[in-house]
Amino acid sequence: MAPPHDDKAAAAAEVNDESTAKRPISNVLFIIAMQTEASPLVNKFQLVEEPESVFPKGVPWVRYYGKYKDLNINIVCPGKDKILGVDSVGTVSASLLTYASIQALQPDLIINAGTAGGFKAKGASIGDVFLASDVAFHDRRIPIPVFDLYGVGSRQAFPTPNLAKELNLKVGKLSTGDSLDMCAQDEAAIVANDATVKDMEGAAVAYAADLLEVPAIFLKAVTDIIDGDKPTAEEFLQNLAAVAAALDLAATQVVDFINGKSCSEL
Amino acid sequence: MALPPGDQTTSKVNEERSISSVLFIIAMQKEASPLVDKFQLAEQSDSLFPEGVPWMRYSGKYKDLNINILCTGKDKTLGVDSVGTVSASLLTYASVQALQPDLIINAGTAGGFKAKGASIGDVYLVSNVAFHDRRIPVPVLDLYGVGSRQAFPTPNLERELKLKVGKLSTGDSLDMTPQDAALILANSATLKDMEGAAVAYVADLLKVPVIFLKGVTDIVDGNKPTSEEYLQNLAAVVAALAKAVTKVVDFINGKTFSEL
Repeated sequence: MAPPHDDKAAAAAEVNDESTAKRPISNVLFIIAMQTEASPLVNKFQLVEEPESVFPKGVPWVRYYGKYKDLNINIVCPGKDKILGVDSVGTVSASLLTYASIQALQPDLIINAGTAGGFKAKGASIGDVFLASDVAFHDRRIPIPVFDLYGVGSRQAFPTPNLAKELNLKVGKLSTGDSLDMCAQDEAAIVANDATVKDMEGAAVAYAADLLEVPAIFLKAVTDIIDGDKPTAEEFLQNLAAVAAALDLAATQVVDFINGKSCSEL
Repeated sequence: MALPPGDQTTSKVNEERSISSVLFIIAMQKEASPLVDKFQLAEQSDSLFPEGVPWMRYSGKYKDLNINILCTGKDKTLGVDSVGTVSASLLTYASVQALQPDLIINAGTAGGFKAKGASIGDVYLVSNVAFHDRRIPVPVLDLYGVGSRQAFPTPNLERELKLKVGKLSTGDSLDMTPQDAALILANSATLKDMEGAAVAYVADLLKVPVIFLKGVTDIVDGNKPTSEEYLQNLAAVVAALAKAVTKVVDFINGKTFSEL
């Protein structure tokens, strides 16, 4: 008796997952919120901007691609807001970009790279590049049982123990919210998330990656110390260029490590 | 006077053609069910969307309209409705790409401010949407965070159905901090929800006209705790919402955009 269609499909998917995990990674997708964060990497990997968009007409998303060693690398950015001209930061843009990019480019691995605030009480310093172990939201408060967990949306990054060890990367939890500043309730939720770094996209990228079942890792470079004396926006703008360079260095090391390996070897 | 070439606002809207396809974006199953019944839509289990996404689609023909109701569906891990801006924006994006609707209607429940004239059970047509929980205190990025947009103008609809009209403020939290309250005030909002401004953002990206209908389940500036009041009134308000939405759809039927 032939197995019902659903069982067959599930079995095929399982086999596919196993062999995918053991096959060398060939297609890497970087999700990067700001042009300033992306440019050094685009240059490093000698990528070119794709003029013929894989995205719908009218969306501001930008794609750079090319081959680097044995990897096909895509870097996508949400681009400049059509009306206001600023980088389309935040969770909505990031999740849309992640979803559409996975659909168009079918990556083996997603790397969300960018800048973040850090907590010195958790050991963060300006210029550190953290590999996130977990991501969660801190500004989606829904005080109803189970909805509260949904709001927080806590997820683990794809486990990469060898990567973390060999590159000597600092590891910490990432908390995501749509605000650059931090109100008291945000702070309480960030503490509850046990986060070392705070950004504006990670948990949204994680959500979309999880929906489409693509492994995702997160590299976050610290531009400002949140539990320090300086105002965030000021410190962030001051350090952005230098920290983007540090991020570039770390991302390159990560890509060099990934090259030739399968997901299960990370 | 001829419009400049590539004029964005009319690139997708043919003002003189009758509206033929309507896409509803509805966050919660409970908000959608009465409408699915009313329009006698059938659940579609085709693979319009990638495997693994929890989104639900109901579709069918109602009078001269092709109607699709899309819900964010139940979270795969936790089993609750996938509320909030991220889910709503993904659903809107994928649905517009797949279905190419003429018009989007984001229908759902909202908190209302009695100081702005809202009462439980009111169904509002939204004039403007904005976010209240995306604070970026850097020039221009601040405006981007607020993401203020106008709904597609529908003066005739408003007048003929005698709909109450108000501004909608969106955030990912059911509760409200003092910062949220200050920004909702700055947004001049009568209503507070968890999806509208995100749906508006995507609709704007893809240049599809969008309107918003919100039923008031709780009074935000009242005495009762939000979650409690919301859960208490949900069923009754969802019924009121369905009634209003039906009237709106009946009005839209057979009309062009310029007649709305």
